[in-house]
Amino acid sequence: MIRLLRAEVRKLWTIWSTYVVFGIVVVIDLAFGFALAFAPGGRHGGTAGIVPHGSQPWFTNVFSVLDNSRLLGLVLGALIITGEYRHKTVTPTLLAEPRRGRVVTAKLGVGFGAGLLLGVLTMVAGLVLGLILVLVRVHSCVWFGGVSQGMSHAMCSARQGIYYSANFHEMWHDWSQIAPGVILGTGLFAIYGIGLGALLKNQIVAIVVGLIFTLVVETIVTAIWPVIGEYLPGQAATALEDAARTTFRDNGPLLPWWGGALMLLGYALALSLVGTLTTLRSDIT
Amino acid sequence: MPTIEARGLTKRFGKHVLAVDNLDFDAIPGGVTGFLGPNGAGKTTTLRMLLGLVTPSSGSVLVDGHRYRDLSNPTTRVGAVLEASGFHPARTARNHLRLTALMAGIPFNRVEECLDLVGLSEAGNRKVGGFSMGMRQRLELARALLGKPDILVLDEPANGLDPQGIAWLRDFLRFYASEKTTASEKGRIVIVSSHLLSEAQLIVDDVIVLTAGRLAAQGRLADLLAGTSRSVRVRTPDAARLLQALRAANLPAAERDGYVVSEGATPEQLGPLMVENRIEVHEMASSTESLESLFFSLTGGEPSPGQAAAPVGDYRPFVEGPTFSPDPSSVAPSDPDRAQS
Repeated sequence: MIRLLRAEVRKLWTIWSTYVVFGIVVVIDLAFGFALAFAPGGRHGGTAGIVPHGSQPWFTNVFSVLDNSRLLGLVLGALIITGEYRHKTVTPTLLAEPRRGRVVTAKLGVGFGAGLLLGVLTMVAGLVLGLILVLVRVHSCVWFGGVSQGMSHAMCSARQGIYYSANFHEMWHDWSQIAPGVILGTGLFAIYGIGLGALLKNQIVAIVVGLIFTLVVETIVTAIWPVIGEYLPGQAATALEDAARTTFRDNGPLLPWWGGALMLLGYALALSLVGTLTTLRSDIT
Repeated sequence: MPTIEARGLTKRFGKHVLAVDNLDFDAIPGGVTGFLGPNGAGKTTTLRMLLGLVTPSSGSVLVDGHRYRDLSNPTTRVGAVLEASGFHPARTARNHLRLTALMAGIPFNRVEECLDLVGLSEAGNRKVGGFSMGMRQRLELARALLGKPDILVLDEPANGLDPQGIAWLRDFLRFYASEKTTASEKGRIVIVSSHLLSEAQLIVDDVIVLTAGRLAAQGRLADLLAGTSRSVRVRTPDAARLLQALRAANLPAAERDGYVVSEGATPEQLGPLMVENRIEVHEMASSTESLESLFFSLTGGEPSPGQAAAPVGDYRPFVEGPTFSPDPSSVAPSDPDRAQS
């Protein structure tokens, strides 16, 4: 099994699509994070210069974009298994290891690791975003806030010392509240993606079904029947984050974090098992 | 000693397609075994069942007495070059081989050896997406050889290779099959499927011929060819006397295109006859049946469409029948009635 795991790891870093997925995560985190931070009239308040420290969950709101990394975890997982069929590399793979269940198991292991890594990268990007926002907020008094509020340059400067420390702590608190959940959620969504890929086999179908289910179907179901929604993969991943319960985010009912983790693990393993016993057993012609 | 045995091997696709029908065969180490048959005869399906990629509907095909899926590290027992085998276009040749090496626990220096062997060490760091068909074939051969297997299975390996590549492959396969190993005094099993019969004839020692999923013939190529029809063709100004002499000796005799043709006779029979009758000879040629015509007689198929006598739409094919055939015993139909039908 060690051999299979090493081969799966090499499969990932020897193709560019892996790097594309990792790159997209960083771009999305930063781009959407900034967009959300400075969107005028956003859900939780306006621009950096006007929002006073501590009054609104500004960082939590901005960090909510980091949840999206789970979608890329799903894409990565789906690629790991459907790429073999798309490029027909499944033939050499199965020639070297004809027991298909073992191949899927190795993919689940490596996919989980790659998903965790993707989650870590997301949170690092989130931290960079957070640090930039701290700077922006502290200096905004001087840059554009102070003048309109009738404060002198000296008054702004005097407030900066307090603002640095307070804003950093607020940012760090909000960041650490979601970091473990986002990382674990991305890892689990990656193996959920592998399960979908094992069942559906076709790359485009697996990715589209996974994304549409998570973004559309699940959102609708959760809105209409929150009690069912909390057991679905997306809500289960949200349940992993402390911030989901303790802040202004309105997520509806959620399982305890370990319940969410078990639900996701269950989805991933059940789909993989069914896929291995049905789709993946089919002839390779 | 490596073995391959198929017993009652059957594969159905859906309800109506019977790709392989109750097939029994054994492969013999020490020589190259040709796996021959027209398109759709079930060659590829059979090889893929052998390799555990396709599950038989019934029957079995065992490698060294085991199903492929039950072999502990199949890369070291069986090497396979398959037509539809895939490459990730963005992965380098070297990494492609290293994946299989990792899965089979083979050290990476063996990857370099195999790249050298197939002449791809220079291209090792290039992406496979930019490879020609011939380079891909050689890369697949390198992958098949990683585990130094005692059984090598190649599905249409000559596809995409240039003439030098084919000649090299021919020599290599012959050598690889006959090379004695610690496991086998008799050498290795090499199975090559092919539709290029003239090419196969140069490589193979044994043949397994499939038609419509069934075994049509199996044995040593030399034995199979020995049992087939031969003919002798003579060009002589004394045709009438030769025909007479042949009939007198109870040998078949016919005159065709200015030649006297004796189907089934040998030069050893005709030579003394002509000396005895003092018949002047300008040319004498004997022909044994080629693998190609043996193949057609076994599979009951037509020769290639270009040589078929039947009109194709409004057009008559170039070769119409025996009249224009350079060699009466070659693939063109010898029966004039057939040319009319």
